[in-house]
Amino acid sequence: MNLDETRLLQAYVDGELDPASAVALEARLAQNARLRSACERLRETSAAVRANADYHAAPAAFAARLRAALPDEPKAPAPRAWRWPALGWLAPVSALGTAFALGAGVAITFIGPAEGELVAREVIASHVRATLADRLIDVASSDQHTVKPWLSARLPFSPSVADYSGEGFPLVGARLEYVAGKPVAVLVYKRRRHTIDLFAWPGGDPAGAPEERFGFNVERFSAGGLQYWAVSDLNRKELEDFVRLAERRP
Amino acid sequence: MAPPVTDRRDRFEQQLLPHLDAAHNLARWLTRNEADAQDVVQEAFLRAYRFFDGLRGEPRPWLLTIVRNACFTWLQRNRPAELAPIDEEIIDENAHSPEALAARSLDRRMLNEAIAALPAQFREVLVLRELEDLSYKDIARIADIPIGTVMSRLARARRLLTDSMRVISSAAPLQVQE
Repeated sequence: MNLDETRLLQAYVDGELDPASAVALEARLAQNARLRSACERLRETSAAVRANADYHAAPAAFAARLRAALPDEPKAPAPRAWRWPALGWLAPVSALGTAFALGAGVAITFIGPAEGELVAREVIASHVRATLADRLIDVASSDQHTVKPWLSARLPFSPSVADYSGEGFPLVGARLEYVAGKPVAVLVYKRRRHTIDLFAWPGGDPAGAPEERFGFNVERFSAGGLQYWAVSDLNRKELEDFVRLAERRP
Repeated sequence: MAPPVTDRRDRFEQQLLPHLDAAHNLARWLTRNEADAQDVVQEAFLRAYRFFDGLRGEPRPWLLTIVRNACFTWLQRNRPAELAPIDEEIIDENAHSPEALAARSLDRRMLNEAIAALPAQFREVLVLRELEDLSYKDIARIADIPIGTVMSRLARARRLLTDSMRVISSAAPLQVQE
């Protein structure tokens, strides 16, 4: 096997090959036992490192010390909902200019962030708060028959709860949150060291939800009269796999 | 309109603190010491805070670039021997005897020691790829090397690991008999 082949194989194992090259390589793998075993070896090494290498998460005390070490910014008064940023600057200009600024101000007020965008920010904020404070879980259980009644007893609706351990997304528990002005259920899943929060509450699909914000991936779907939002720092492809699973078998 | 000053710290915490574990993990693997890792990460965060307004795109690779540079500066100052030039030559898999990899049966502690023993330049690409799940492109940006070098260093790192695991596993039965 030549050097280019080694690189090609590695890129394939790492999921870095474009689809056309991957298909071409798979055809060669099917015919070439030597290439197949080299591919297998690479996969094993990668899997062994992922499964066994220590992941050094930051100790909680260090995280607290670090936050305290960040310089304090002077606290300005809370910003108003919207401002007239150009007004002072425009004062010496004609009335026509002022009327134009007025028009722009009105347009800004109406364009405002879409509902989905606002909800996405709230679910990400909830996910981050829970991760930072290490308060991801109110009820820790991988058993859906423990988690579901716990949620039903505390919420005016009952989301379906499933464990996807078989597919590599084990259920680890649930918590309650307050999002979009109402109490919501959050099912917590793991994927390797990543946490996936699956939010659920009654309602349809909101418009204009982003797929990614602040480095977090966001996915949503609706099923059984509930809307679901999945948030994680997991890569997009695996989060999509998770959502497909949850959609099919909520 | 520039966001109000008071938002800056909130935005920083919201966007970057979630990646503190990734920052700490990288620094811990590169300095191989908890106290030094914390010093380096704290310095990197203060630096990130200062340059936060220059953040474009995803926060995680941006932060890890700063952490990585802080780590290498620290290594240069405190462990210069660890940054000796490395053999960048990519390995020809032909030279590789097709025995089954020992990694499957290996001991967790031994694997961690084998990773810690890799040259820093190999260790960083391996940690970024396998523990942080970053793409070649992001790793290239963080380590400031071409993608081709990411690929050859990753191949070297994996090969060195496989080899050291094979040595360890062939030595293991002897230790049992002692």
